[in-house]
Amino acid sequence: MIEILNVSKNYTSGRGHITALADISLSFEKGQSSVLAGKSGSGKTTLLNCIGALEKPDNGKILCNGRDICTFNQKQRALFQRREIGFVFQAANLLPWLTVAENLQFPLEMNGIRGKEQTRRISGLLATFGLAGYDTAMPGELSGGEAQRVAFARAIAHKPALLLADEPTASLDSATGYQLIQLMLSLCADQRTTLIIATHDIELIEMTDRKIYLKDGHLETKI
Amino acid sequence: MRLRYILKLSFLHLVRSWRSTIVLSVMVISAVASLIFLASLAIGTNDAMIRNSIGLFSGHISGSDIPPRIDTEILAVQGVEHVLVRRQQRFLLWTDGIFEPVLLMAVNPLQEQQSTALWKKTVAGRYLQPGEDGIYLNQETAARLHLSVGGWVHLGTFPGDILKTLTVVGIYRTGISQLDQGLAFCPNEAFPSAEGLITTASFLQEGSSTDEIEQHYKRLIPSGKFRAWTEFMPDLKQLIDLNFVCMAIVMILVFALVSVGISCAFLIFTLKNLREHGIMKTMGIMPVDSTLFLICQIGMLTLCAATVGMVAGVFAVILFAKVGIDLTSLTSHNQYFVVSGVIYPRLTAVSLLPPPVLAIIFGLAAALWPSLYINRKSPADILRTV
Ligand SMILES: Nc1ncnc2c1ncn2[C@@H]1O[C@H](COP(=O)(O)OP(=O)(O)OP(=O)(O)O)[C@@H](O)[C@H]1O
Ligand SMILES: [Mg+2]
Repeated sequence: MIEILNVSKNYTSGRGHITALADISLSFEKGQSSVLAGKSGSGKTTLLNCIGALEKPDNGKILCNGRDICTFNQKQRALFQRREIGFVFQAANLLPWLTVAENLQFPLEMNGIRGKEQTRRISGLLATFGLAGYDTAMPGELSGGEAQRVAFARAIAHKPALLLADEPTASLDSATGYQLIQLMLSLCADQRTTLIIATHDIELIEMTDRKIYLKDGHLETKI
Repeated sequence: MRLRYILKLSFLHLVRSWRSTIVLSVMVISAVASLIFLASLAIGTNDAMIRNSIGLFSGHISGSDIPPRIDTEILAVQGVEHVLVRRQQRFLLWTDGIFEPVLLMAVNPLQEQQSTALWKKTVAGRYLQPGEDGIYLNQETAARLHLSVGGWVHLGTFPGDILKTLTVVGIYRTGISQLDQGLAFCPNEAFPSAEGLITTASFLQEGSSTDEIEQHYKRLIPSGKFRAWTEFMPDLKQLIDLNFVCMAIVMILVFALVSVGISCAFLIFTLKNLREHGIMKTMGIMPVDSTLFLICQIGMLTLCAATVGMVAGVFAVILFAKVGIDLTSLTSHNQYFVVSGVIYPRLTAVSLLPPPVLAIIFGLAAALWPSLYINRKSPADILRTV
């Protein structure tokens, strides 16, 4: 359960003062899939980054299971990201000097999942994502769709409570993107993982339980 | 994160980005190898200066005031190659009414030729032979007495007192004033006096400690005066110390530069791979782990490169130690290279160990800058910009 309470975030840059998020309040139930939609520059990435503790809001609270992640110190933040969160970005998510299997191993190692359990999980993920036989492939040898499947597999390898995806299908064709999101939705539902996807892909918006629209940092509609 | 896993990641990163690894390694390998060679060459140069200076006449340890009753054989202790015994006394030389004082040394010509190089400095005639009534004279004295090879000279303690008449068999010149002024030699048998001060010249084996043997001598013959070459040639001692200081400065400067180079190169790699570091941060890697990751990479790289550099350096030293480097044309007027200008580079702990050790220490220091950069950068900024 994630509660966002009166979160706002401003930037000062060459263009002057920018309000990326303005007094946002929202909550996400455990296991729920939501889409964050909005025009470019509406604050989707900023909101995802705040939820994932990559950025600190200027004001407000973000409660994750009752704990305010905005008050975390560096170590708490790293542990929170390592255990509770999986990230997927638009592209280039993988560590290019590790094979597919080694990329999947990374979050497991970080969370102390080793030995047989590690091997079992890696082969399970490869099978689930249709990547059997890809374990020794290098990221540079993969197509965009395959790489994005590995990125999703890695993001849920350690069974995080929250999966944050920032335009995960933007560099894929719509059919591939559709299949991938379908797979993610069913996996997250099985694992009771809360999924938040930021996108402007109309097709994708239609696929989730919940749609949240942002406009100039404001919440527009909540369905 | 487990250290083992960080080590594995570092290893994979180095191996799979082998091109950049090789480029960085070449820098360290060449620095280590060339510094080992340079340091060995400096030691070889010092060796050559010592060898030339002591090998001409004095030996590593010179003894004087040795009581006549003492058997000088006892000085041939462990670590000593040869001990030469000489007797010396002041005499007057004269021919045709010209008088010149000299310090005449009675020597064993065969042993002298075996251990010293003075005989190589003959400018006219030849060196002494055992048993002959000959004199081996420095050029300056010979000129004052208008003597040349084959001429004869009277020897006595005061004018008119002819103790012996000797034939000039050879004339020498070394270029070193102590040996070129007022010194003359004759075989033991031709020495006109039963007395004379006994002096010794001990030549040590390579690697023996001059100080230890000198102390040992002082215990063996407490009334004798023993001096190591470092005492009677303080100028050479200083030159050698100076050489070491210069070498140390060169090493530190070279590695400081190499480490700045490595640091810059790693920073460039880190900037190039900034996104990967951002991704790892989003997966919750701690600052200590990122730092360790970089340190392990640089550590492994410098360790391997330093080892290869060490092997290459040692190989070069061994090769040149066999053939020697002939610098006669650069040393011919130098008093520290009177006998030979050939330098044999020599490996010692001082020439072998500091280069790789410095490479590793400076290499690790080079990891600090990139890791500071990574740890200070927020992952959101990294992912947004790269
Ligand atoms: N580090 C920053 N410095 C200055 N301005 C920033 C920074 N990060 C974001 N912004 C600004 O904040 C606003 C929201 O940006 P954000 O990236 O959240 O938008 P977005 O909805 O993700 O857009 P897109 O769909 O194009 O990814 C934009 O106007 C952006 O220019
Ligand atoms: Mg965005």
